[in-house]
Amino acid sequence: MRRVTPDTIAVVDLAVCDRCGLCLPLCPPEAIHLELNTLTVDDATCTGCEKCIAPCPVGALAMVAYA
Amino acid sequence: MPDVDILVVGAGPAGAVAAWHAKLAAPELDVVLLERDRAVGAPVRCAEGVGDAGLREFVNPDGAAWVSRRITDVIFQAPDDTEIVLANSGLGWILDRTRFDACLAAEAAAAGAAVLVGAEATGMGRNGDDRWHVRVKERGREDVYRARVVIGADGVETMVGRWAGLDTRVPSRDMESCAQYVLQGIEFNPNAIYLQFSNAIAPGGYAWIFPKAVGVANVGLGIVSLRADGRNARQYLDDWIGRRFPAGARTGYTVGGVIVHTTIKKTYADGVLVAGDAAHMLNPLSGGGINNAMKAGRLAGCTAAAAVREHDTSESRLASYHKAWMDLLGEDHLKYYRLKQALEHMDDAFLNALARTVNKIPSDKRTLGRVLMKAIVKHPQLIPVVAGFFV
Repeated sequence: MRRVTPDTIAVVDLAVCDRCGLCLPLCPPEAIHLELNTLTVDDATCTGCEKCIAPCPVGALAMVAYA
Repeated sequence: MPDVDILVVGAGPAGAVAAWHAKLAAPELDVVLLERDRAVGAPVRCAEGVGDAGLREFVNPDGAAWVSRRITDVIFQAPDDTEIVLANSGLGWILDRTRFDACLAAEAAAAGAAVLVGAEATGMGRNGDDRWHVRVKERGREDVYRARVVIGADGVETMVGRWAGLDTRVPSRDMESCAQYVLQGIEFNPNAIYLQFSNAIAPGGYAWIFPKAVGVANVGLGIVSLRADGRNARQYLDDWIGRRFPAGARTGYTVGGVIVHTTIKKTYADGVLVAGDAAHMLNPLSGGGINNAMKAGRLAGCTAAAAVREHDTSESRLASYHKAWMDLLGEDHLKYYRLKQALEHMDDAFLNALARTVNKIPSDKRTLGRVLMKAIVKHPQLIPVVAGFFV
């Protein structure tokens, strides 16, 4: 299935993120990674579904326009 | 390139017990236990409560340095703060997870497992030699461990499960977003845990007070964000504590996810087992996971050890782990999950009424059977809930 380019994608604010890992299993395409104490969202994989946004206990994830 | 028989990723309760019991079952095997963080047991992402019976299957809490508090009572609180006291409702403990996890890792080490801290698995793959090649970063350098069996005990965010091709994803309705403070200088019964159910305070979850000492407690809550009003878990907690314990000193803080789902469909692959939170092996009603993780770790360690001894670490050999887990606790978790789903529809007015009904039963006669009977007679909407539990 070809991936439709989303209008917005998730980004993480590392100054707020607590590295708890809660968002990883919530991501349907598994676009979020936690490695060496840094959370990253792979913008080539993110589908913009927003499933990770509200559950973040500290509000570290937000949607931004996909450049 | 170190060769090992069993590589355990994650030194929480599941991983430490897996390494420990793998060595007990087969002392001749090379077992390595990896911990990503610089210390086993830190940072604590847990309310630290555990039941007595399950704990004693592994370690003795009497007088142990890793115990914070002995618990005898449970106090349920309705949304309007009506309390239902279940005195002598079964013994429990509030642990000091920093020390507790270290104690389990020390047991693994005493049994002969190698424990490595500050060592993070960053990827793994097959290389045509019947072993998993696991990349491990430790103090800036990267090693590749060749392992016959990898046990993924790497928590909610499990990467081992992903790398092995297992589906460890969870729907948002089954993810509890949790936040917790250690509060000092507050008043409560230090022999009781408190659980408050309210859609206004903690929608989809509950708020808790777990005593660590007189005047000191883990105070936190879990919410399901789909049912929340736009605030995140930390904001809900700040609002609740601001009302309830405005003078409490916040001396610690943690957040995290608790998966209130059921065991993943497949917890094994060729040369891989997944245990504990990583495989969603929690009680979905309480969110309790420590004893579950240790029991899963013991099964995983023993299964892996036996499989290596038999020179058969194939998927079909390791499938016995999944069945053993489902028979032990996994099937019970399916029942708890159905009960949780039914209870989700109870609103705050109903919960307040239910609490008053239960409190009309004298506390010395307040057995679970009597509570259920009285509750069903007064509140017939509970019948499908109770029926669902016994199906």
